[in-house]
Amino acid sequence: MSSGAPEDGVPAPRPTGLAWVRDRLGWDGLAHLIAKKEVPIHRYTVYYYLGGMALFLFLVQVATGILLLLYYRPSAAEAFESVQYVMAEVPFGWLIRSIHSWGANLFVGAVVLHLISVYFLKAYRAPREMTWISGAILLFLTLGFGFSGYLLPWNTLSYFATKVGTDVPAQIPGIGPLLSQILRGGSDVTGATLSRFYGIHVAILPAITTLVLGIHLVLVQQKGMSVPPSIERERRPRTMRFVPDFLLRDMVGWLTAVALLAALAAFFPWELGHKADPFAPAPAGIRPEWYFLSMFQALKYLPAEIAGVPGEMLGIFFFGALAAVLVAVPLLDRGASAGRSSPWWNRLAGVAILGAIVLTILALLPPGKTSP
Amino acid sequence: MRAALAAALAGSLLSLSAAAIAASPTPRPAPNPPTSIGCVDCHLALDDPTVSPPAKAFADDVHARAGFTCASCHGGDPRAEDQEAAHDPKKGFRGKPSPRDIPTLCGTCHADAAAMKHFNPSLRVDQLSEYRTSGHGKKLLMGDETVATCVSCHGMHGILPVKDSRSPVYPTRIAQTCNRCHGDAKLMSAHGIPSDVYAKYSQSVHHEALMKKGDLSAPTCNSCHGNHGAAPPQVGSVANVCGTCHSVFAEEFKASPHWEAFAEMGLPGCVTCHENHQIVHPTDAFLSTGKEGKCGDCHEASTQGARAAAAMFADLRRLQEETDGAKAALRRESEAGMEVSRAQFDLARADEALTKARADVHFFQPYAVQQAVAGGLTIARTAKAQAVRLHREREFRRKGLFVSLALILAAITALALKIRDLDRGAAK
Repeated sequence: MSSGAPEDGVPAPRPTGLAWVRDRLGWDGLAHLIAKKEVPIHRYTVYYYLGGMALFLFLVQVATGILLLLYYRPSAAEAFESVQYVMAEVPFGWLIRSIHSWGANLFVGAVVLHLISVYFLKAYRAPREMTWISGAILLFLTLGFGFSGYLLPWNTLSYFATKVGTDVPAQIPGIGPLLSQILRGGSDVTGATLSRFYGIHVAILPAITTLVLGIHLVLVQQKGMSVPPSIERERRPRTMRFVPDFLLRDMVGWLTAVALLAALAAFFPWELGHKADPFAPAPAGIRPEWYFLSMFQALKYLPAEIAGVPGEMLGIFFFGALAAVLVAVPLLDRGASAGRSSPWWNRLAGVAILGAIVLTILALLPPGKTSP
Repeated sequence: MRAALAAALAGSLLSLSAAAIAASPTPRPAPNPPTSIGCVDCHLALDDPTVSPPAKAFADDVHARAGFTCASCHGGDPRAEDQEAAHDPKKGFRGKPSPRDIPTLCGTCHADAAAMKHFNPSLRVDQLSEYRTSGHGKKLLMGDETVATCVSCHGMHGILPVKDSRSPVYPTRIAQTCNRCHGDAKLMSAHGIPSDVYAKYSQSVHHEALMKKGDLSAPTCNSCHGNHGAAPPQVGSVANVCGTCHSVFAEEFKASPHWEAFAEMGLPGCVTCHENHQIVHPTDAFLSTGKEGKCGDCHEASTQGARAAAAMFADLRRLQEETDGAKAALRRESEAGMEVSRAQFDLARADEALTKARADVHFFQPYAVQQAVAGGLTIARTAKAQAVRLHREREFRRKGLFVSLALILAAITALALKIRDLDRGAAK
């Protein structure tokens, strides 16, 4: 019961100062919820930290991104120079930019590992289907952040990689060319594309991500942490309090991530390269960021035509179908939902992960060794 | 039968040519040439290695494409059905023109502005008059038929436009075409001309630019000697010839003390230091007293000229060394991940200053080189200072990182201790 309610005809004293803030925020209720929240302890507990790590790296991206916004100029004429200025002239600009660039990669890595761990721990089974679906959407949004952010420094690599990347949707029959046109803001990658990607990166994706992430976090709180079926079958696991026990352990991971980011920024500052020249020929070895490499390589291996259908188009449909299956896993894997093991789904995921790793390695090999 | 016919044809070509030309003024090709190609039909049918190849080659000739026929140059009657009638001198048949007559024969059209307008209005019509000023033309006039005439370079029956890369006078092929005669030691010795010109030219910067880099504007034989008026440049005009491309050097050379001194001494300008055909990449060492040095050929050690050369050499070397040093320092920082593109961009102006200083050597005045070098040195030293600043910044970052890592480690330790306390409390 909130303070200030009349009791036995005597009005309660009006809260003042911090008590007033706590009262108006409903802090006691929230504190009660936090105090009640528990995390199961078992041999897979370590995987629970991946979600917190992904969230932490997302917040690092938000913070460093906002700082970069203070100097970044989203035009073909000034983008490269503004990043150059951040790197060379702005105090600690090099640190912020390098952390943002390295952080983006660690963030994608953390999200992917979180998704893989949740998948194999079958945490998507009832009643957490929506948690999984919102998480899968967050993965796509994360990849969208990576793709849109890559172009922003407007250097040679990012320019030509974006050219290749925005060519891909054009293969979709019917709406493909229009989709590519919308993405590029014209028929080719130009300053208009840069403005568009900037808008997508700093406004559209953050807005959608905030919404979906909010839903995801609320669902995690509502449904609690999932316990893997194998553990459930063994015994009811012990638990630890989320605050402070789990949170303090989470913080150790976050501090380690900060240390890693600082070391990467100091020893391997993210290169800026050369300013994009749309009239120059594409340099050899153009490829996207590592998280798109497997798809990029798979599309390269496809023949020009398969049964009269363009190979690249079939590839895009295949990856589209794969994404749809990923989102719909909780609805498709009925065995897991019924509490049974679902080895075929594990094998399917194992093959997909192995395939992605092999294709990524092939894409990273020097040119000439990977040609189909 | 066929061999007899061929022999008769060849004989008639040879014997009738001089007589025919002597008997009649050089005729102009008909403005509306006959459409028959009777000559070609017959000469091809003969399948004779003497007379058939010209007929075959003519199909691809620029003149054939413009409507000219064999009779345009050789006269005769292409409509005639037998050889005798076709080769009838009364019908203007002159057979194979002698080298002496070829320039005039070609000049019938090529020196006639009105005639050329029908075929190629942009083509010059002064080739014949130019040829008469050339070494070849003058010798031909004196009766030397071993010299080059139009057909020596352009070919006879398969003449291609100059812009056709298969043409023997296409820029990349000119030197080899000239070398057909100028590389013939026996022929050249008769004229007192060296026959190693092509060998020397093929080691030159000009050959490299033309043949290896594909720069069609790079000089080949005719760029310096002229084409139709081909002659060796005179001593006094060498600077003008080189100056058609190297205009800055030529202007500076003309303003230098060497201009008058060379003229008085009869030295051939640029060639004195750079050679004529074997023009190699010039280096700063040209100014040195070493093996590559050129100045010492005229200026004895400790003379004013030798001191000037030494001063210019030292200045150029200093700028080169400081620019290289700054580049290396920036490269090190770049490889360490520092942002150096702006500094590298600025440093490129030191290279420009060095290029200008090297050009200014042609003033042969140390102060001119010093001025250009001074500007470059300032740029190189600024870039070097920037590299040093970046190096310090890099060191600062690394030290800062270790401090940060220490703080983070301390925080992690504190958290670990707290977690241990909590775990112990929970266990109790």
